[in-house]
Amino acid sequence: MNEIFEPKIVAFVCTYCTYAGADLAGTSRLKYAPNVRIVRLPCTGRISPMFILKALQKGADGVLISGCHPGDCHFTHGNYHARRRWMVFRALLEFTGIPSERVKYSWISAAEGGKFADLMNSITEDIRKLGPFDQYNALIKETEAPATF
Amino acid sequence: MAKIGVFICHCGENISAKVDCKKLAATIAEHPGVAVSVDYKYFCADPGQESIKKAIRENHLTGVVVAACSPRMHEATFRKACAEAGLNPYMCEIANIREHCSWVHTDQDMATEKAADITRSMVEKVKRNNKLQPIEVPVTRRALVIGGGVAGIQAALDIANAGQEVVLVEREPSLGGHMAQLSETFPTLDCSQCILTPRMVEAAQHPKIRLLTYAEVVSVDGYIGNFHVKVKMKARYVDMESCTGCGDCITKCPQKKISSEFDCGIGKRAAIYTPFAQSVPNKPVIDKATCTYFKNGKCKICMRSCQINAINFDMQDEFIELEIGAIVVATGFQVQNNAVYGEYGYGKYPDVITGLQFERLASASGPTFGKILRPSDGKEPKNIVFIQCAGSRDPSKGVRYCSKICCMYTAKHAMLYSHKVHDGKSHIFYMDIRAAGKGYDEFTRRTIEEDGVSYLRGRVSKVWPKMSKLMVRGVDTLLGKPVVIAADMVVLATAMVPQPDAKEFAKTIGIAYDEYGFFNEAHLKLRPVESSTAGIFLAGTCQSPKDIPDSVSQASASASKVLALFSKQTLEREPVVASNNEATCAGCWGCVLACPYNAIEKKDILDRSGKLIKRVASVNPGLCQGCGTCVTFCRSNSLDLAGFTEKQIFAEVMGL
Amino acid sequence: MTIQETYKARVKKLLASGTVKMVIGYKPGTTADRRRPHFIRTPEEADQLVLDSACITNLSGYLLSEGLLSDEKAVAIFLKPDGIRSINILAAEAQLNSEQILILGFDSNDNQVTALEGEKVEEFTTLIESIKEQAPEALKNPLLEQIEGMTPKERFAFWQGEFSRCIKCYACRQACPMCYCRRCIVDCNQPQWVNTSSHTLGNFEWNIVRAFHLSGRCVGCGNCDRACPVNIPLRLINAKMAQEVLGAFDHFSGMSHTQEPVLASFKKDDSETFIL
Ligand SMILES: Cc1cc2nc3c(=O)[nH]c(=O)nc-3n(C[C@H](O)[C@H](O)[C@H](O)COP(=O)(O)OP(=O)(O)OC[C@H]3O[C@@H](n4cnc5c(N)ncnc54)[C@H](O)[C@@H]3O)c2cc1C
Ligand code: SF4
Ligand code: SF4
Ligand code: SF4
Ligand code: SF4
Repeated sequence: MNEIFEPKIVAFVCTYCTYAGADLAGTSRLKYAPNVRIVRLPCTGRISPMFILKALQKGADGVLISGCHPGDCHFTHGNYHARRRWMVFRALLEFTGIPSERVKYSWISAAEGGKFADLMNSITEDIRKLGPFDQYNALIKETEAPATF
Repeated sequence: MAKIGVFICHCGENISAKVDCKKLAATIAEHPGVAVSVDYKYFCADPGQESIKKAIRENHLTGVVVAACSPRMHEATFRKACAEAGLNPYMCEIANIREHCSWVHTDQDMATEKAADITRSMVEKVKRNNKLQPIEVPVTRRALVIGGGVAGIQAALDIANAGQEVVLVEREPSLGGHMAQLSETFPTLDCSQCILTPRMVEAAQHPKIRLLTYAEVVSVDGYIGNFHVKVKMKARYVDMESCTGCGDCITKCPQKKISSEFDCGIGKRAAIYTPFAQSVPNKPVIDKATCTYFKNGKCKICMRSCQINAINFDMQDEFIELEIGAIVVATGFQVQNNAVYGEYGYGKYPDVITGLQFERLASASGPTFGKILRPSDGKEPKNIVFIQCAGSRDPSKGVRYCSKICCMYTAKHAMLYSHKVHDGKSHIFYMDIRAAGKGYDEFTRRTIEEDGVSYLRGRVSKVWPKMSKLMVRGVDTLLGKPVVIAADMVVLATAMVPQPDAKEFAKTIGIAYDEYGFFNEAHLKLRPVESSTAGIFLAGTCQSPKDIPDSVSQASASASKVLALFSKQTLEREPVVASNNEATCAGCWGCVLACPYNAIEKKDILDRSGKLIKRVASVNPGLCQGCGTCVTFCRSNSLDLAGFTEKQIFAEVMGL
Repeated sequence: MTIQETYKARVKKLLASGTVKMVIGYKPGTTADRRRPHFIRTPEEADQLVLDSACITNLSGYLLSEGLLSDEKAVAIFLKPDGIRSINILAAEAQLNSEQILILGFDSNDNQVTALEGEKVEEFTTLIESIKEQAPEALKNPLLEQIEGMTPKERFAFWQGEFSRCIKCYACRQACPMCYCRRCIVDCNQPQWVNTSSHTLGNFEWNIVRAFHLSGRCVGCGNCDRACPVNIPLRLINAKMAQEVLGAFDHFSGMSHTQEPVLASFKKDDSETFIL
């Protein structure tokens, strides 16, 4: 098993800031790790904790949630609401053993292409170090086998 | 059955250099529901768009995915092309394989694999897209301007001059606001009334403006283009139609010693009064609180003095209902009550006055006819101390923010004083001089250099009376030593604060406000004149402290927003809005509270006999901006957001 | 007179005078240490009323029974402090009008039942404030601390062990006064947010969603915990979340009938140290 582990990471981002920041990383031709898949939403306010669970169910080894910095939300307050939910949901995941290293949160503005690229690299590296999310994968595997009753 | 067409763009070589487009097309062609999967050099160019249209028609496609550049580039282009081919434009989605893939990755295999994931997940999403129609909202082309200060007058005139109807509501008996109280205005020193009164008259006589003074907005319902507004016309006890404004009643009124609000207590008025000589309309009102008749049940002298019987003591408040398309809020500011500064003795020593009171002393039409005289003994002060930031930039007793105008008006006051009292001396205690504005720094320089005003950098710690003087103790921090000045008068540069009822008022009309009570703009940088509620705009000092040029600029900007809205009969909006499943809604109102735009209403569900069965949330598509905050809150999963539905996102994630 | 008899007399009076149309209290259950809800409509029915330290169920959920409150007539209900807090939440979330509820408050400590002063929910505000004061201590629990001390892997394994036993009977949901939704998100199959198979994955998802929806709302009455047929320590997760919202937002559930729901409101300076 010398092959390096390529983690699968799903990012949920708002279209006005982080998605635009990712576009800027592209137009600036910054290079970063290809492990992240982006799901675009209008606002961080739209990012439901259920999405995180579904990404994990789909085999994601890591999840990133990102949007506009406080005060910059296109919808004025969506990210303030989101921040509260994240705070609570993060504690819940942590307590149930879904490590906070695997579910990360960030603010990336439309001007922060560099921050986006750097984060893609660091998050990929961090999760590569953690390795596959074996414990969750075992649960997923179980669902693939026929039910016992 | 889904028949999805996938169009993979090379973007010249921008994409194909890193993504193997042929292989991608072949991979995607295998995906369930994909009817067409092709690649091409430039899909955004005309031949590319034509080929998409052709494929839609020939294959009866139910959805389209264009794997190309960012949706922020060409989503609109491709959606339009789809519409031209008869496919609902919202059945088209973009897979971003350029900005998010080919431009940022180096390994071709991995980039191709990622592009396949991105495209596949978009195919899964588009399978669940719904045919959406742009939302059409009818627009009532009539604007409401609330507040008749300089900002409100400007907005009303701009809109009316463009040919649209305006209702201008002012709660005082006259138009004018604070600007009418000012003497001369910085930085040009033109007489405030001379420039304002003609505008007031113009507004009052404009055929497109319906002026309602002594009136207040009591409720606003509805949404952009379709507001229902209720206005209370306070009883004036004087018939506006017949009154000629002769003023006989005012001279006869026995109550003459009532402190005049307009003159900030320095002058007096009667119980039946107009706020000032040039009031518009120039027709008096009876102040119920001070009128002898209303207090004792006897008097009515004014009524007898009126030749044309215009006075009617039985008048009642009246309510008018208005249909309005857009609202400009221009309710202005107040000055802070300086009594909080006990050490300055405001309210205790008559010769400690506010900047606004100084304006009234300096005004040619004011109680002293423009002579600077002490309120205590009517003598001309020979030495005045001005204290800047008496309230502003002081988190402990005043307000945290800078009121922006006090540096300028204090300089103006000192200058006016030196012009009026040649042997007078003035000192200004200041923290910083903030004179950013066209001609502003030059103005303050002139005060220092030509008019010899002495500026002392430091705070005043105490003011106390001694003989007929006011002793002012402060520090000059530049010299690093305490100073005591024997002054004849002290003028406080009072902070500009929101109207005392600003928060209540904001709730009445449904807009957001900040911690102080200034109204919030939709976006501080990009949408500074829109409020957080669609169709309601802000002008002047109700949004933040401002001088006249800034208030007027914002008023004109608001007017142009209103005119843009009125340029069409209906308003078309992106259909990305939330909707609610009334059957499953639990009526917890979490969404109502969370929505940043007050777009969710409580709706009664009645049975056939009209009995209330339950109450549910109902999204007003005219107000909803499509953020989806409510959807995420809803525990019963009753809300959903068109264009980003739960089903779509679920499928998108599962497609990755 | 014992407290039970005092309250019995009061219940009879309330019903006889027509002050309330119904009293929700307790009556003997299937075994000596169990109590059942007792819906008392006439003074005679009050004879069966029991009030002792075995009365632990939070009865407030019964107030939401279809149609019970729609005639706007008053209903009295026996409640402990946690139950009183849940009245505040239900009122704040517009599920009932607290004006309509007459509270017969009691508390039990060391098998000793004591009466609580007051009838209207507002009258218990000082009591609830003092409970909030004590909450940081009261929410502490040795097992909870033990779990917090584990590595994430161990925690996962712990909960995996617990949740693997869940049979998705939803007794926990049924028992919780705050789970009043007409349709729960788990019953939503378009899309299927929670895996419905009996596998641990779906159980994990269900229990996480449940705990999330109760964050800042759970009053710690323990109804869910006691209802669970396979003894999953649900109370631990709820307590953990209560600690979290208290620490992060100074939010203690059920303080008043106008309290803003913690997840539908925000402060601009909410903590965000975890955000990159
Ligand atoms: C001492 C002093 C000196 C100044 N000197 C200068 C100067 O030299 N140069 C300069 O550029 N600026 C100066 N300013 C600033 C200037 O006064 C303001 O920029 C300007 O008056 C703001 O106009 P406005 O229309 O926003 O508000 P306002 O003038 O306050 O007008 C608001 C109007 O709305 C009405 N209103 C309020 N609430 C309601 C309601 N609910 N319903 C209906 N009507 C309502 C009020 O009665 C008022 O008529 C000075 C300010 C002060 C305090
Ligand atoms: S959050 Fe959901 S359940 Fe609650 S009122 Fe809104 S739509 Fe209804
Ligand atoms: S989507 Fe956003 S704007 Fe629309 S109703 Fe929901 S919270 Fe309000
Ligand atoms: S979650 Fe359990 S402990 Fe909390 S209020 Fe509901 S039933 Fe009571
Ligand atoms: S009561 Fe227990 S077994 Fe039943 S659904 Fe709840 S946690 Fe699962």
